[in-house]
Amino acid sequence: MRLAEVVCPPGLRGHHRTDRVLAEFELVLGASAPAARKALSAAIIALDQGARLYPRSRGRRFTRLDDQTAEAYIRVLLARRGIAGELARRIKAFVVMCYYELPVVQREIGYDPAPYIAAVSRRRLASYGPAIRAGQAAVTAPDPGPGQP
Amino acid sequence: MNVPSGLTRQADVTGEVRLECDTVIVGSGAGGATMAAELAEAGLDVVLIEEGGYHPTESFTAASVRALRTLYRDSGAGLAMGRPSVLFAEGRCVGGSTVVNGGMSWRTPADVLERWAADEGVGGISEQDMDPYFARAESRHSVGLQDPETIGRDSELLKAGAAAQGWAVVPNRRNQLHCAGTNNCTSGCPTGAKRSMLVTSVPRALALGARLFADCRVDRITRAGRAVTGVTGHFVRPGGRRGPELSVRANTVIAAGGAIQTPALMARSGLRSASGQLGRNLSLHPNANVIAFFDSDVTGWQGVHQAFQIREFMTEGLVLTAQNLAPPMLAAIVPTYGRELGELMADYNRIVTAGPLVTDTGTGRVRNIPGLGTQVFYQLTDVDAARVVRGVELTAQALFAAGAGRILLPFTGAPEIRSSGQLRSLLARPVPKRSIQLYSIHLMGTARMSEDPRRGVTDSYGAFHGVPGLFVADASLFPGPTGINPMETVIALAMRNARYLIDGRDRRPGVSPSETTSDR
Repeated sequence: MRLAEVVCPPGLRGHHRTDRVLAEFELVLGASAPAARKALSAAIIALDQGARLYPRSRGRRFTRLDDQTAEAYIRVLLARRGIAGELARRIKAFVVMCYYELPVVQREIGYDPAPYIAAVSRRRLASYGPAIRAGQAAVTAPDPGPGQP
Repeated sequence: MNVPSGLTRQADVTGEVRLECDTVIVGSGAGGATMAAELAEAGLDVVLIEEGGYHPTESFTAASVRALRTLYRDSGAGLAMGRPSVLFAEGRCVGGSTVVNGGMSWRTPADVLERWAADEGVGGISEQDMDPYFARAESRHSVGLQDPETIGRDSELLKAGAAAQGWAVVPNRRNQLHCAGTNNCTSGCPTGAKRSMLVTSVPRALALGARLFADCRVDRITRAGRAVTGVTGHFVRPGGRRGPELSVRANTVIAAGGAIQTPALMARSGLRSASGQLGRNLSLHPNANVIAFFDSDVTGWQGVHQAFQIREFMTEGLVLTAQNLAPPMLAAIVPTYGRELGELMADYNRIVTAGPLVTDTGTGRVRNIPGLGTQVFYQLTDVDAARVVRGVELTAQALFAAGAGRILLPFTGAPEIRSSGQLRSLLARPVPKRSIQLYSIHLMGTARMSEDPRRGVTDSYGAFHGVPGLFVADASLFPGPTGINPMETVIALAMRNARYLIDGRDRRPGVSPSETTSDR
């Protein structure tokens, strides 16, 4: 939760969206490869406990850091090379991906595809209905011969 | 949900399933579904097995993370490990990657076919040989140009930028039946206009009597002596729980799980290629994203995915194109977070995402590692890294020429670029290979064709050397990268190889045509 608060835009906390983002994150993690799931889960723990080694944390774990220190810690982590940096970037990518999956967030940035999809779908059918139906019927129509060009 | 006749899903199964058939096909993507339709039409009893679920057209929405979870393997987050690692995505659903690809449909370039023939002795693969199969694939999948009203502003801007430089641009040929331009290709086409296997060869195969088992993972290919005898697997319950077992007895097994899963299945089945090439020679057309900000609205999500390709630099192994990313995908790749991310994403409608597709010279490897499962390794060569950087530079040049005000490059730590001069200055210094952010959706070459069993995994027609009855029907077969979108090559090869399989079967059931034909 603390990680989401740091890597997502302020709208996460301002509009109480954390639970929905975490629910989506759980689903994404659940659909990942078992090895990746284990690696990411371990990385989240390491990210939390690893903050104790960050000088400005004064021995506190990530979830106990104030906003400024937590943000600085994440900045350092994301800029790191090697496996630690790569895992941190992957976790960040998954979390913000889940934030921008929320329809309300998408609408805030002007992305609202459902009405657009409905409109162009109607236009397609109105413009090309007969050709579309013929094409669909051809899917199961007899062929010149199996394997024949 | 309307469930087609002949389809069995995990929810329909309560106990062990045992089947017999002529041919069992593993994977329902471009190669597997095509094979299924061809063989069913020839009167063979075909069983098609797909690890992913059945998701009909009416279930597709613009919820792109949901699509990653349901239509892609491992949430679309495959990783080819190397320096840099390459993120890759594979479809895992009925219809395979054709359900989630951009729908680009191009014939294999003639020089690529010539190289395959020259390097590996692949027979029957000249442009003339393949022409009828390409024509048939294009007819089956309604390949053609977009209707003009569906082309979005992001594509038009990249085209204008290329035109300003005097570069050659071609309209993309796509497998679409009057595409509406929803820009939802990678989350499943919500109109069915994209002629993926889900709406073409899969229903065709089912109508011709094939049986399809979805939510079913094949664990092993079974054998008696050298010859294959079928497959065993299990249904996958929600949450990945193991469901009832499935076993299929068949004289012919066709592996069509793609260039990662096909060698993985073969390896865990104890199959070895005498050449030692199984799982090797992975090519993946590395891609990189250039993110450009314009002063006015682009609304790149309105209009077809990738309307054009810049072909000016094909001889350098580069194709450039614009592809809009849905907000979750864009947020995932930009190098910011927190408040800065919010500010960047506020400009979402003014962004064009474009980049190069690189014909790679390096190769990777697929391995099964105990405890970790299938792992992919790929090392970007210096030549390919230089190609990526060159492709990024050219893409950025075109976008500046089109009016972009600022650009983000796919190099970790690179500053925001505001002019062509700044771009040249930055790229005058070497770009660390490890800093390049790469992804791939074109995976090829891990069971390559070669008439020489010491060099390849299969013969010219996809028959596994030394294992009677085993065939490959996916991009694993390619003896090298195609340099363009590979789907049509997979389909045409499957149509061609189906013909040979049918002919061979007429002579001796379950035996590779190469073992029964003396005139090739």
